Amino acid sequence: MRHVPDGVLRRLDDEPLAVPDRVSDHLAGCGLCRARRAEIAQDTERAAQLFAAPQLVPDVDHAWTRLQRELDRRPETASAAVVVPRRARLPRVSLRAGLAIGAIGVLIGGTAAAATLTTVFSPTHVVPVSVSQSELRAIAAFTALGDGHGLGGFATPQGSSTFRFGSLNWSSGSPRPASSLAQANAQAGFAASLPAHRPAGVGPVQQFMVQPRVHVTVTFNSSAASLAGSSVAIDAGPAVVAQYGATSDPAAPALTVATIRVPKARSTGASLSQIESFLLAQPGIPPQLAEEIRFLGNLRTILPVPVPPGASVHSIRVGGWPGILLADSSNAAAGAVWEDGRGLLHLVVGLLDSQDVLNVAKQLG
Amino acid sequence: MAGFEAFFRAHYRPIVRLAQSVVGDSQRAQDVAQDVFLAAYRRFPGGYEQAGGWVRVAAVHTALNVLRGERRRDRRHVLVQVVGTLPSAEETVIERERSAELRRVLRRLPRRSAAVLVMRHGGMSYLEIADALGVKVGNVGTLLRRAESALRKEMDRETRS
Repeated sequence: MRHVPDGVLRRLDDEPLAVPDRVSDHLAGCGLCRARRAEIAQDTERAAQLFAAPQLVPDVDHAWTRLQRELDRRPETASAAVVVPRRARLPRVSLRAGLAIGAIGVLIGGTAAAATLTTVFSPTHVVPVSVSQSELRAIAAFTALGDGHGLGGFATPQGSSTFRFGSLNWSSGSPRPASSLAQANAQAGFAASLPAHRPAGVGPVQQFMVQPRVHVTVTFNSSAASLAGSSVAIDAGPAVVAQYGATSDPAAPALTVATIRVPKARSTGASLSQIESFLLAQPGIPPQLAEEIRFLGNLRTILPVPVPPGASVHSIRVGGWPGILLADSSNAAAGAVWEDGRGLLHLVVGLLDSQDVLNVAKQLG
Repeated sequence: MAGFEAFFRAHYRPIVRLAQSVVGDSQRAQDVAQDVFLAAYRRFPGGYEQAGGWVRVAAVHTALNVLRGERRRDRRHVLVQVVGTLPSAEETVIERERSAELRRVLRRLPRRSAAVLVMRHGGMSYLEIADALGVKVGNVGTLLRRAESALRKEMDRETRS
């Protein structure tokens, strides 16, 4: 086989199952193509980072009111600002041809790709996604994991359960207390740090906890159509959690500082875009949330952070790394989250205003 | 109107996000989104099921037009939820500069290259991009590769200058 064209190497990164298995065979034996693929992946990564700047969440109610005003004022006038260039070909032909090519690609690429372990999720930065309580409930109902699995942790250190499209197996140790930060770090295997100065009203650390690594495997069954037989293995943690009490009442939690090894997911078979497309197209997933997730961009490197309604969100930088600062509507509780470029996710949450939380975060950056 | 409102609420934030990845600031992105939804309201009277893909493509092209100065508009005040505290001046400067560099480069790139970059990194699939640009789906990888390579070279040039 001739060398693999650049466009195919590029697509291999996004939609590996749409690429014929002879490409994988060729790559396995061709150092030149592997080197070109690595170079292409570098450019892709750089572009993804440039386009991934955290953004503010607009107020939809205000925007709707504004749009209604405009519709009342100019009910029939066409908007000259919006121009969509004419396509070179008829869209129906293009769509049909694309579907056929895509289907053939999946059929012929599937067998080879099923034996390939692909990293589908290895986040390098965080991005806000607005999520309402009803959407959280809808997701819990959708996954049939509403009794705490998946959204709030697992009830037992290990076990398995089934859901609509397959089965879920998990294993993790139970969270255990540590007597000091040094002991917690030794158990976790990385060096978490704490702020040198606490905000006013925050007392000393009351408790250190270590959550061992959690390993979850999702296996899709025949109900999952093109994903059938694929499995996704997710590793999250370990995590070191330091809980601070209030000066007025040490038993009352005032601030939590958590350091977590970023989750990683690897898939046998399906690509991330296939998994994403399949899950987001299912009935039961709120359409607005699906759109939000779909438009995040390269989910392989993005960790979506849910933003509840009414919360304000601002992009921050901690030690040069992008993050998100959230605060409730009264600015009485706030949280900061960022990934530090070393594979660690940091979380600072407190019954504090956003400036205090930001000050704590910056001491850790 | 109820159907359009539901459509608007489902798509507004993603469209603003897509436009903001091109124009840089939230206010201009919301102006773009407003124009796109006004146009969608008139283009798809009563049936918005098919309009989801159209508003994405329209947002990319309209935002590129704004970026390239093909159409100048008055700024309007729009409400954005922002916390009372702001990042330091240094952080703001670094983030703004990076964003400004990207926008300068997007202006210089061929229009189709800029569009394919925004579409792919805005979350559109190869099939959707092929449909939007009127090319074969097998050519999207090639367009994307060329565009990302050009982006890297232009960003390097921007940094050197």
